[in-house]
Parts: sequence; C-alpha cells; structure tokens
Amino acid sequence: MVSIRLDKVTKRFGKVVAVNNVSLEIEDGKLYVLLGPSGGGKTTTLYLIAGIYKPTSGRIYFNEKDVTDLTPAERNVGLVFQNYALYPHMKVYDNIAFPLRLRKEPKSKIDSKVHEVAKFLRIENLLDRYPHQLSGGQQQRVALARALVKEPSVLLLDEPLSNLDALLRVYIRAELKRMQQDLGITSVYVTHDQSEALAIADKIVVINKGIIQQEGTPEQIYENPRNVFVATFIGNPPMNIVKGTVLEDGTIETTGSRLTPPPAVLEKIKRLKLKNILMAFRPENAVVSEHPMEGRFSPMGDLFEVEPLGRDAVVTVTVGEFVIKVVMPTREAMQLRIGSKVHVNIDPSTIKYFDPNTELNLEYIEA
Amino acid sequence: MKIRKTSLLFFLGPALFVVALFYIIPLFLSVYISFTPMVDWNVNRYLTQFIGLQNYERLFHIVMYDPDMRAVVITTVVFVLVTLVINVFGGLLLALATYFMDEKMSAAYQGLWLLPRMTPIAVYSLLWYYFFHSSGIGILNSILLKLHLIDHPIALGLDPKYLPWGAWFIIIFVNGLVGVSYGMIIFYSAFKSIPKELIIAARVDGASTTRIIRHILLPLTKWHFTFVMVWQMFSLLMTYAQTFLLVEWRVVDSTWGQTWALYVFRTAFTTTKDQGLAAAASTFLSIIGIVLGIIALKALGYEKMILEPKGDI
Amino acid sequence: MMPETTDVETINRRRMNLALGIVVLIASIPILVTYFILMASSFANQMITGSMVGQLTFTLKNWILFFEGKLTVASAAVYSTWDILRYIFNTFIVAFGVMLVTTALATMAGYACSRMKFKGRKFLIQLLILLHAFPGVSLIIAVYALYIFSKGPIPSQWWTLYAFIYVIVARAALEIPMDIWIMKGFFDKVPWEVEWSALIDGASRIKVWKDIILPLVKPGIAAVAIFSFIAGWGALIYVLVFLPPTEKTLATYIAGLLAGGSLEVVHLPVVAAAGTLYLLPTLIFFSFVRRYMLQTSLSGIKG
Ligand SMILES: Nc1ncnc2c1ncn2[C@@H]1O[C@H](COP(=O)(O)OP(=O)(O)OP(=O)(O)O)[C@@H](O)[C@H]1O
Ligand SMILES: [Mg+2]
Repeated sequence: MVSIRLDKVTKRFGKVVAVNNVSLEIEDGKLYVLLGPSGGGKTTTLYLIAGIYKPTSGRIYFNEKDVTDLTPAERNVGLVFQNYALYPHMKVYDNIAFPLRLRKEPKSKIDSKVHEVAKFLRIENLLDRYPHQLSGGQQQRVALARALVKEPSVLLLDEPLSNLDALLRVYIRAELKRMQQDLGITSVYVTHDQSEALAIADKIVVINKGIIQQEGTPEQIYENPRNVFVATFIGNPPMNIVKGTVLEDGTIETTGSRLTPPPAVLEKIKRLKLKNILMAFRPENAVVSEHPMEGRFSPMGDLFEVEPLGRDAVVTVTVGEFVIKVVMPTREAMQLRIGSKVHVNIDPSTIKYFDPNTELNLEYIEA
Repeated sequence: MKIRKTSLLFFLGPALFVVALFYIIPLFLSVYISFTPMVDWNVNRYLTQFIGLQNYERLFHIVMYDPDMRAVVITTVVFVLVTLVINVFGGLLLALATYFMDEKMSAAYQGLWLLPRMTPIAVYSLLWYYFFHSSGIGILNSILLKLHLIDHPIALGLDPKYLPWGAWFIIIFVNGLVGVSYGMIIFYSAFKSIPKELIIAARVDGASTTRIIRHILLPLTKWHFTFVMVWQMFSLLMTYAQTFLLVEWRVVDSTWGQTWALYVFRTAFTTTKDQGLAAAASTFLSIIGIVLGIIALKALGYEKMILEPKGDI
Repeated sequence: MMPETTDVETINRRRMNLALGIVVLIASIPILVTYFILMASSFANQMITGSMVGQLTFTLKNWILFFEGKLTVASAAVYSTWDILRYIFNTFIVAFGVMLVTTALATMAGYACSRMKFKGRKFLIQLLILLHAFPGVSLIIAVYALYIFSKGPIPSQWWTLYAFIYVIVARAALEIPMDIWIMKGFFDKVPWEVEWSALIDGASRIKVWKDIILPLVKPGIAAVAIFSFIAGWGALIYVLVFLPPTEKTLATYIAGLLAGGSLEVVHLPVVAAAGTLYLLPTLIFFSFVRRYMLQTSLSGIKG
C-alpha cells in the first residue's frame, strides 16, 4: 500500500535541533519502531510523518509522492496519541465515527464501519460510554479504533502503551502486532521501552539526539550494535564496555590480561592504526571469579556490588573507569567478597570491537 | 482548638467585617428605607417614619402612567437583551479569533480589547463624549459629514428624530465595547485549557477549522457559555456608571438613555433625591439579583466545585 | 510536546493569521480611533476631528492650561495649580487606599477560604460569588445613609478625612469578594506539603502564612494589588457621592468640566489633556498585569 521515505529531514525548534538530517525508508506493510531515550526526537519524527510538524528542511514521500506540504488529513494517516486524546464530550461511538462523518460518508456505511472496527478490537460493548467511563486499556483500544476506522495508509502510534500497567502492556502489544500483521498496514510505533521494541518490531530505528543511530531488525540491533550508543542502550542490563591497549604484536591488553582478536578485526585495527580499542560484551557472556579462567579474556577489577535477583545475580565490577555488570548464577556470585580483586572472564567469541574515536563498531567500517 | 479559632478570626475577620458592613447591613437597611418617606438625605427626620408600602405604590403608579418611567423599563429590557447578545457572541468571536491567531498578535489584540475595561470611567466616557458629540467635532459627525451621509451635525442620542434608537445605540455600543472583553477572556482561557492533542487529533481525522470550532471547542466550553451569559446579564442589569456620565454630559437623552439601575441612582442622588422611592426601585434589583444569583449558582454547579481543604489538620 | 500554536504546521497559518488579523483590526477601529483622538487632541491646538488638517498644529498649550487650572485660553484660572495637584494627589490616595485594603483583606480571607476548614465555608464561598454579582446600586443608598449616620458623632473638622477613609473602604468592599476568589485560586495551587512541613516544625498558622505561603503567591498578590489599584484609580461614583465637592479626584474633576454638556466654557483639548494624564497610570499598570488577566479570570471561576 504505502511506503514512506524521509529525505534529509531536519526539524528545529528555535535553537533545539529535534531531528537532524534524518533519511529513512519505511517499507510497505512493515511495523517500524522508533526507539530512543527521552528527548531523542521520536515524537518529533512521528509528527513530521503525520504532517503535524513541517520539516525545517528536507522532504517526506509517501510512495514516492511528495507529501511534505500536505496536511495530516490529506496524508490519510491514523494517529494514536500517548494520552489517546479521545474527545471527552463524545461517546465512544461518536469518537470512532468522527473521522468518517468528516468525510461525509453515508450514515449506514459509517455505522457498519464503526461496528466492524469495534468488533475487531473487541470494544463493541463500550460504544455507548463516554471516555472517562473507560479503563486505560479500553481507551487505548478506542483510540486505535478511531485511527483505524478511516482505513489509513499509515498507522502512527506514539507510546500507546505507556499509560498501561506492565501486564496489560505485554498483552496488548501482542494484540497490536497481530492486528498490524492481519491488516498489513504500514506502521510507525514510538517507544522508549526496548523490550516492547524488540518484541513487536519488524525493524527498529534507534534515535538519539535527533540522529538515527542504527536501523535494522531486532536481531541485528541486539546482536550487532552499530555504535557504542546502541550497544549501551539495548539490553537489560545493556552491553558492557572495556578499554584495551593494542600491543605491537596485535594482541589487546587490559589490566594484564591478553586477547588475540579475530583476523578480520586485527586487519581493521592495523589499517586504522588504532592504539586503543573499546570492547563490548553482553552481561550474560561473562563470569566473575577470583582467578582468571582458561580460554577467556579476563580483565581485573574491584567487586563493587552483588544484587541477587532470584536464580541469577547482577554482579557489578569496576575496571578502571568502566563499570561492568555481569549476570551469573546467584550461587556462584555469593562466593565473592565485596571490595576484593576479581576477574571478569569474558567469552572472546562474543566480544564486539569499537573504534574509540568514532565509537563505531569495526564490523560496520568498510574494509 | 483555641489557637485555630483565633487564627481563623485573624484571616477571615476583617473581610467578614467589611462584607457585613457594606453588603449585608446595607441590604436590609435599603429595604427598610424603602418603607420610609426619606428625601434629601434627611436621615434624622424621616428614618423613623414608617409609611408601609407607599413608595411601592408610587413606583407602581409611575411605571403604569408616567411615559418617562415606561421609557426606563423599555430601555432596560432592550439594553440588557441586545447588549447581552452582543457581549456573549462578540466575546465568543473575539476569543475564537485570538485563539487561532499567532500568540503575539493575540496578546496584543486582547490587551487592546481589555483596555476599555481598565480605563477610568471618566476617561472612557470622555472618549465617547468626543465620539458622539453633537457638533461637528464629534468623531461620528465628522466622519458622516466627510462621507456626505449627512449635511449638518446630528445629535444622535438627543434629537427626538432619532429617539429612542439613537440613545439606545449609544448606550449599547458603549457598554458592549466594555462587555465583550469579559466573554473574550473567559472563552479564550477555556479554549486554552482544552488539551492541544484534541485539536491535533481532529486535524488528523480531517476536521476543518469550522468543524473543530463546532465539534470540539464549543461543546467543551458549554459551562463557560452559561457562565458568561449569566454573569453578563447580571452586570448589565446592575451597571450604570458608564451611562451615568453620558447622561450627565448630555450625550444621550436622560429618558431613553436611562436604565433601571441608573434611574435608582439618579433618583437617590441627583434628580429628585427621593431616597424612599429609589430604595423601593432598588429592592427590585436586589430581588432579581438574589434570585438569579441562586439559580445561577445551582445551575452552574458551584457547590460541587468547591473542594474541601484536604490538608487542613 | 505539542506545537506552540495549537494547530498543525502543515496548515497554511499565514493566510489565517492575516485574515483574522485584518478582521479583528477592523472591529478594533472604534477603540483605536477614540483613544488616539483623545491622546492626540491633548497635543493639538483644537480637537483633531472637525478641523481642516492644515489648521492643526502641535502644542503643549493644553497641558499647560490644565495645570494652570484654566479651562480656555481666554478665561482666567478657575482652579489654582495647587488645586489640580491636589486632585491628582487625591486620586492617588483613593487608589492606594483601595489597593491596600483590598489586597490585605483578600490575601488573608483568600487563604482562609482555600486552606482552612470551618463551618459555613461552602456557604461563604458561594456568598462571595453572589456578592460579586450583587447590584452595587441597590446598596449605595444604604451605604450613604450609614455614612451620614456614622459621621454624626465625629467632629466636623475630621469629616474630610473620614470621607476619604469611608470612600476607600466602601470602594474596596466592591472589589473584595472577587479578589478573595482570585487569591483563593492562587493559594489552592500551593502544595500542602510545604505548609505541613512548616507546621510540623512548630510554626503557627499565621507565621506559616506570612513566611512560607505568601512568598509563593506573590504573583497573585501583585495581580490583585494592581487590579485593585486600577479600580480605585478609576473610581467615579463613590468619589462623587462621598467626597465633599471641594475634594475632587481626576474623575470628578473631568465629570464636572463637561456637566450639562456645555461646549462654551471649556476648551475640549484641555479636557483631553486631563483625560490623557488620567489614563496614563492605568496604561502603565495594565501593561504589567495583562498576562495575569487570563490566569486570574480562570482561577476566579474554577474551584
Ligand atoms: N514544540 C517544541 N518546541 C520546542 N522544543 C521541542 C518541541 N517539541 C520537541 N522539542 C524538543 O525537541 C527534542 C525532541 O523532542 P521529542 O518530543 O521528539 O522527543 P521524544 O524522543 O519523543 O522524547 P520522549 O520519549 O520524552 O517523548 C527535545 O529536546 C524537545 O525538548
Ligand atoms: Mg515523545
């Protein structure tokens, strides 16, 4: 139906650059998630696509048609606001019917469409109520119904689940995903909750400071972050970073422990003439112990804290200026003494290497 | 407990004293005066004489048979109704216009329209004295003369040729220009308190500006509409200061430019100084005021809006 | 975050702005014209309207005549310069008095209505709304009768002073119900935690009010003070009724000049000068509080 393309889009509010030279292609029928920290520019990007904001520079295309100057109505988008923005003085039925009435569709058609979408979202029994008589989850569905009823080319959702409790959130996001797939509607979904993003996205777009940090499938984003920001943003806890010195022979050394990187990495290090390097690894790919372990890269640090969380514990170690969190079995973790010298034994095959100057993952640097 | 009493007395006492002295006591005293033959402020002589309903009978008689008093009644009705409509709808239009404007422009216009409300009454009346002056220097006359719509200056508010419409036009115009700003600020702040998301959502749904006004802004501010309506009705019934100088300065005819409230004031203080009669006439205003006020309080649901001070321990 | 202007940016706002701007401008013509004529005429040799443009000249003569107490170029002074200055001073006295009384009482009572539980609180608050709308004209007869009563026992050399005090308090009384509401609205917004922590520290209610709460509602106090100043400054009817004829304010001075609608005795641009001078403080003060107008009007009507 519709694919969306942002071409070098910038949006300024006075001095603040909310969206900075963003180019992005959103494929037809896919669910894209804009993910990033607060103030990163997600909402602004969404509103630019909706036509609520006009870009300061750059163009926006729907199916290669330039829509930059079109109003939201002309773009035919459905938008669900974070606070739902239901019309408080209209019953649920009238809320949903409102966009159709504006299009002057015949009464009978409006009626059947409203019932159809209400049935689809299972809110048929609520049609007679006012928004303030609904629970958060029900309001959310009404907002969704109002966005869907006009059969929009694009569905835009701004943190639609953030007002719901944790359980309902998990339940509804699964429903949303199913619905989006059933309808095959091109969707853009804003959230700052990464587990939500990983669970429902076809593609995730990580945005920070108005700049796209990485775009890719959830697996790509999780497994192979493009830069240090994404590495340290995704995952719970996110990836750890340690710094190493590159020695003459190409091995990497941190606090006396040595590591030989894979040949491809070694080659890039040589070509970029790197003296230092940043290494990232997931908390679950390391074990903390009193003595270094065989076959592992084992930087040394001070044990700062052990937080038992049931079966697993989060162990915090400071290695130089870096704070490292490791997830390991509680039973083993409890053997360690707070304040003692420990080794973080990292599985070398899981390590990602970053250029400390550009903070880019070496794998993403062209050979 | 004792401490609470004294601090309550400290905070509330002075205001209650003033309210009692200048509202409650005068209210009863005024009704009492309407049962005395008081004239010329001769308090010592007349205040002890009780003459029953005589003043009310006199008032009734004048209303029935004196054409000038008839004019006062008709003028009051016309003035209140027409100005009410102008104030409420004019205020609504101004509020809508300034709502959809640039912030800066809207602030400037609102300031401009609030100016008459803030201006000292003597100056405000002076503006309209110049405007409606019956000689060629009157702004209206000079405009009409330059446009050749008239060939000699007219006295719109005085000339029997134009009465009563001329006088009505002037008092309605002058009061309306002050009155619209009330509706303007109430409606404007009501619109501003509607979440912006609702407006945007309606735009996304494809609503035009007129649709947004009709389906979002107006339905959500019904309470304010009633509020402005009721309060403007009050103030129009009770207002007299603006018109007082226009009459004193011979801008408008003293018969057809005089509303009931102004009649009360002039009868008590400037014309016949017949305080007994004036008090009787004012009792009617008080009754209307109290009855309408209580109805309004109930209709607007004020009682529910007054929250208990939750944190007072 | 929503756009500043409420509306979506892709709608052409320039056209809407322009159209609305022009329409409202046209509607504003009477206001613009009358104020302009008043101020400009005070600096002209004759009223701006009704004269050939060529004959119009700039002059400060009207202002000089006004301060000399003259009403026309030809006539002798009707008032002395001293009189005029006293009228201006009187206007200030009344305005300041109304401001002080209103602000003090409204700030105290507003606090009580917002934050203290007492019997009849709801009744009192509703009564205030009623009083605000109550016909002042049906009270003024009795208020004047009370005035005559109460000044009886006072030695006659104090009557003028008494008249000033009475007019100030009586005029302030008209403002107080509404201003209690406004102040209540401001007090309502102060979090209870602030008050509790001071009370727990052992401060008395009055001390908490004075040292903790008042600084937090300064904007409200400023707004009420300025609004009541403007009200007192513009007062006409009460001044006319209560002050002796010799003690004029600018309001009664101007009212007297034009009484009976006579054209002959007074040069109208001189009145324009008096009017412009009288208008000036209002303009200045109003420019400070305009932005509070919305806030106070809302807190005035809503809880
Ligand atoms: N209308 C506006 N006026 C001024 N600055 C704005 C406006 N809207 C957004 N900004 C700024 O632009 C930046 C991006 O804001 P945006 O709302 O897009 O962030 P976000 O990623 O949606 O954050 P959140 O997760 O907190 O909603 C922020 O620095 C914000 O302060
Ligand atoms: Mg956001």
